[in-house]
Amino acid sequence: MVNQRSKLPLMAHLVLGYPTLAESLRTAAQYIVAGVEILELQIPFSHPTADGPVITAACQEATRLGVSVSDCIEAIRGLHAQFPEQEIMVMSYLNRIYTFGFQEFVTEMKTIGVRHLIIPDLPVDSRAAEDLRDLTISKKSGLSNLNLVPVLAANTPDPRVEKLLAMGFDFFYLMSDFKITGSGFSLHPRLKAIIQKIRAHPSTNLPAVALTKEGHHSTNHPRIGIGFGISTPEQALKVVEDADVAIIGSALIQAQNAGKLTEYLESLRQAFNNQQFETKH
Amino acid sequence: MNQTAKTYKDIILNTLGTFGGSNSRQLAGAVGADRNVPPPSATELPYGGTYIPEVLLPSLQEIAAAFDHFKFDEGFLADFADTLRTFSGRPTAFTPLPRLSAEFGGAQIFLKNEGLNHTGAHKITHCIGQILLAQRLGKQRIIAETGAGQHGYATAAVCARFGLDCTVYMGKKDYERQRPNVYWMELLGTKVVAVKEGSQTLNDAVIAAFKDWVANPDSYYLLGSAVGPHPYPAMNTFFQKVVGEEIRQQCIETTGRLPDYCVACVGGGSNAMGMFFDFLDEEQVQLVGVEAGGHGTQPGEHAAKLRDGKRGIFEGYHSYFLQDGDGNIAATHSVSAGLDYCGVSPILAYLADEGRVKFETANDEAALSAVKKLAQTEGIIPALESAHAFAYAFELAAGLTKDKIVVVNASGRGEKDLFITMRHFQEENLKAYAQHLLQHQK
Ligand SMILES: Cc1ncc(COP(=O)(O)O)c(C=O)c1O
Repeated sequence: MVNQRSKLPLMAHLVLGYPTLAESLRTAAQYIVAGVEILELQIPFSHPTADGPVITAACQEATRLGVSVSDCIEAIRGLHAQFPEQEIMVMSYLNRIYTFGFQEFVTEMKTIGVRHLIIPDLPVDSRAAEDLRDLTISKKSGLSNLNLVPVLAANTPDPRVEKLLAMGFDFFYLMSDFKITGSGFSLHPRLKAIIQKIRAHPSTNLPAVALTKEGHHSTNHPRIGIGFGISTPEQALKVVEDADVAIIGSALIQAQNAGKLTEYLESLRQAFNNQQFETKH
Repeated sequence: MNQTAKTYKDIILNTLGTFGGSNSRQLAGAVGADRNVPPPSATELPYGGTYIPEVLLPSLQEIAAAFDHFKFDEGFLADFADTLRTFSGRPTAFTPLPRLSAEFGGAQIFLKNEGLNHTGAHKITHCIGQILLAQRLGKQRIIAETGAGQHGYATAAVCARFGLDCTVYMGKKDYERQRPNVYWMELLGTKVVAVKEGSQTLNDAVIAAFKDWVANPDSYYLLGSAVGPHPYPAMNTFFQKVVGEEIRQQCIETTGRLPDYCVACVGGGSNAMGMFFDFLDEEQVQLVGVEAGGHGTQPGEHAAKLRDGKRGIFEGYHSYFLQDGDGNIAATHSVSAGLDYCGVSPILAYLADEGRVKFETANDEAALSAVKKLAQTEGIIPALESAHAFAYAFELAAGLTKDKIVVVNASGRGEKDLFITMRHFQEENLKAYAQHLLQHQK
C-alpha cells in the first residue's frame, strides 16, 4: 500500500505557537519538506483535555505566550500559500472554535482551503457539531467541502461506525488504544474490524479532489489515520499496514525538544524507503 | 411566567443536555431577566450536552441509560433512601438561628445542616446515588475528582463500604490546603493523586479524571457536582434534590410555611441545585446562589462565573466559564477549594438566564468572618464554601423585615479547613503546634 508514493504515509502533528509561532512555522516547513502526507496543525488551548503531558505542556506554553486563534489562522493561511499542494488538517478543542464563532471560523477555513477539522471533544453528531456542519455545506454542490473528522476508538460500537459512515465523513481518526496521546504504543485488536467496516464502505459523498491527490485511492473509500502513542518508525510502519497514515504528535515534539528533529524525521523516511523496497520485490 | 415556572422541574430532569439536544433547545430558549449577559436566542446552542471524546461516549451513554431507568425504579429509590438514612444520617437537621437573627434585626434565619452528613458535606448524597448505580452496572473501579476533598472523601467512603477500588484526583494546591481530607481518603483505602498540571486546582483534577477514564473506559467516573457532560448535571441534581424536599417539610413544620429565600454557595452547583430544585416552580421562594468573590474582581482573583463568565464548552458541557477573550480557560481563586472552579452547572446557567435564580458573590474575607460569626453565635462551624452563603445571607437578612424567612444551606462542616482557618485566626498557635509536632517526632 505504501509503494508508488513519494510522500511519507504520515500525519505530522504540530502545536502552533510552540515554542514560538515563528519557530512552529519553520518546523511545519520541515515536516512538509520531509514529505509528510498530512500536516495536522493544532490551535493550542489552555486545557487540552485529550492530550498527554508532552502536547499539554506545549499547548500550555503556547497559550501562555498568548498565541491567538487569529494568529493561528494567519499562520495556516501563510503556510497554505507557501505550500499549496500540502494537505493540511486543523485541530483544536471546541471552546476555542466556539468562542471565535463557528461561522467565522468555518469561513476562514474554507477561504484558506483547509478541508478537515479535528475537534477531539466534539462528537461529530452532537448538537454543536450539527451547527458547525450546517455551516460547512457548500450551497452550490450540497456537498461539504470542510469536513469534521470523527475520532473513533476501539469501543465505538458497530452501529455507530455505520451511522458515521452514512453521514459521509471522508477521514476517520482512530485512537490506537485506550490512552491519551504520547503514552506508549499498542494497537487494540478490535480496530481491525472497524477498519474493515470503513474500507467496505464506498462513500459517494466525497469530494473527488481530496482523493485523487497522489493517486492514492482510486476508489472512493474514506481514509483512515491511526494515532496516539506512535513514536518509533517500526510502530509507524506497523500502523500503515492497515491505515492510510500514521499520526505522530508527542514523539515529534520530544524530538524537537531534544534537538533531534532532523534525525528523527530521517529515521522515519529511511524506514518507509526500505519498506517500499521490500514491497516492490 | 407562571406557565413556564410550572415546567422548570420537568425541563431540567427530562430534557437537559440530552445527547443530540434538539428537544432541549427550549432550555436555552427562554428570555432572561436582569442579567448583564444577553440571553441566548431560541436557535442557539442549548446548555449542557455531551462534548467529550468519542471514546467516552459508550461509558456515558451506559450511565445515562442506567440513570433513566433507575430514577423510576422503586427498588433502587428505596435502596437510595435507606442508604441515605442508615449510612449518611439523613434527614439532616433544620436549625433556627435565633441569636444571629436577633443580632441582625431582620429576617429569621434558618440553617440546613448538610454538614451533619457522614463525611461532613452534602456530597455523600450524590455519591450514594451514583455508587448504587455503578454497583448495578457491575463496575469494579471508581474514578473521582475533588476540590475541597469532600467529594473525594465521600466517594472514598462509599467505595470502601461497597468494596470498590477508588482513585481520586486532586489538584496539588488543593491536596496541600485540604490535607486532612487527603488523609481520610487514604485511610479509607483510596488512592489520591495530586495533579500537578495547570493551576493545580479542581479544574485540573476534573481533566485528570477524564484522562484516566479515556485510558480505562470500563471504570465508573463518579463526578462530584452538577457539572460535566450529560447525565451528570441532571443526575446529581436528581440525587441532591432530597435536600430541598427535607427543607420544605422541615420549614413547614417549624414555621408553618415555605421559606422566602433559599441561599446556597455555588462551586459547580450540586448543593445549590439540591436545595433549589424542589422550590423551582414556586416563585414566592427566592433562590440565591453565592459565588466566590475571592480577593478581587480581576481575572484570576475570583470564581464568579455567573458574574464574569462567558458562554463556553468545556469539560463536556455548554455553560458559563471564566475565560479570556479568545477561548482559553482562565485561572480562578477562592479561599475555599470547593468554589475555586472555572465553570458552573448548565442547569444554573439556564436558571440564571431565566432569572429564576439570582447570583451574588461573597469574598474570601467575608467568608472567613462568617465562619467565626456562625461558630461563636450559634455553635456551628461551617465549611468555607458554605460560609460564602452565610456571608451573603447575613447581609440579606439584615435588610429584610422580621416576618421573612431565610434558609441557608450549610453544605459542609468546617473541620476540613482546620489549617486554613487556624492560619487566619491563630497563626502563632498553628506555627507553635507545627513545631511541637516536629519536635515530638524526634
Ligand atoms: C462543603 C462544600 N460545599 C460546596 C461545595 C461546592 O460544590 P457545589 O457547588 O457542587 O455544591 C463543595 C465542593 O467541594 C463543598 O465541599
